[in-house]
Amino acid sequence: MFELDLRSRKPVYEQLAEKIIELIVCNVLKPDQQLPSVRVLSGELTINPNTIQKAYRELEHRGYIYSLPGKGSFVRPREAGDNSARINNLKAQLSKVLSEMVYLGVPRDELISTIENLLSRAEGGNIDD
Amino acid sequence: MIEVERVNKQFGRLKALHDVSLAVHKGSIYGLVGCNGAGKTTLLKLLAGIYKPDRGLVMIDAQPVFENEAIKEQTVFIPDSLYFFHNYSIQDMANFYASIYAKWSQERFQQLSQVFNIELNRRVKTLSRGMQRQVAFWLGLSLMPEVMILDEPLDGLDPVMRQNVKRLIIQDVAEREMTVIISSHNLRELEDICDHIGILHQGQMVTQKDLDDLKADIHKIQIAFSGEIPRALLEESGALHHEQRGSVAILIVRGVYDQIINRMQAYQPAILDVLPLTLEEIFIYEMGDNGYEISNILY
Repeated sequence: MFELDLRSRKPVYEQLAEKIIELIVCNVLKPDQQLPSVRVLSGELTINPNTIQKAYRELEHRGYIYSLPGKGSFVRPREAGDNSARINNLKAQLSKVLSEMVYLGVPRDELISTIENLLSRAEGGNIDD
Repeated sequence: MIEVERVNKQFGRLKALHDVSLAVHKGSIYGLVGCNGAGKTTLLKLLAGIYKPDRGLVMIDAQPVFENEAIKEQTVFIPDSLYFFHNYSIQDMANFYASIYAKWSQERFQQLSQVFNIELNRRVKTLSRGMQRQVAFWLGLSLMPEVMILDEPLDGLDPVMRQNVKRLIIQDVAEREMTVIISSHNLRELEDICDHIGILHQGQMVTQKDLDDLKADIHKIQIAFSGEIPRALLEESGALHHEQRGSVAILIVRGVYDQIINRMQAYQPAILDVLPLTLEEIFIYEMGDNGYEISNILY
């Protein structure tokens, strides 16, 4: 279910956390769905169980999952909270993409219409093909 | 689980270890790195109870290890150079271990025969180096140890077997909370499986930390300007190492990610990238800090 790039410079627990967030955001992992146990996942990925625990702790801290003692970890249904740090990070990424597009000479109108299109798709919930 | 306190060991006039301390939690995988002759094997042999410390404490489960049968019964040490009895087959070795270790699991031994897949009646000494290492893991894991001490454990194993052995070790850590201490020069491999890292240099512990903290503490910065690189930047950054290629500079800096970003942003760079270091890079720069550098000698 999770493919990690062990060659990447990014710490493994961060990669794993990001992968899981991606799956939650895309609704592949549904609210209240159980995540694989640390033991199972560490066997499958050949990764230190402590690293997986760390990723789960991080996700819990950031409010993406919750854990029930003795039962495991589950996806937390989304609710409004303080995401400012993450949002700032995403804004920085967006600005990188935008400046490259401006450099390549994409006109302002086209940029805006592209963003509007993407927005209406994202708000629509699923991507229409 | 494993505690070493200010241990000293001397062989004749050679000081192999000087005031080394370390702690490994239960269920943790600890990676020991260091250049050749740093004292890694000496430390591991002290942990296995083969050497007696000159000074200091070596404890597993809060008990001194040396001459302690109860501790040794739950510890497996796979040394750098393996030892098997002459003319013994794998089955003979298994019988021998079963007779002296109370926790020997015949069931596990049989399960593992599917992984290792070497005929039981082969004489161990006639096997290749890599196969002998497989036998060592096969026997070692069948002892259901609480602690595994591994000296360069994956040397000589083929890529498939390396992955198999790593998986077996990790399974035991996940399921039985086995504690593992590994020394290796293959830092890529340690990076995948260890959660703590200790760096030994000339018989002393240079750093030991949670692997992720170690990485969070040191960064590689790529910074570029549309004009000249400001002088003040290079002077103020306190970089461990810096390289300049045209208007692009690469700095290795210690510190917290956010603070570094803020400090660098002040110079208004055209490009600013901060990357985590690989364990290999951390090792090289830490060693450089301690006067052990990659020499630029050309013959």
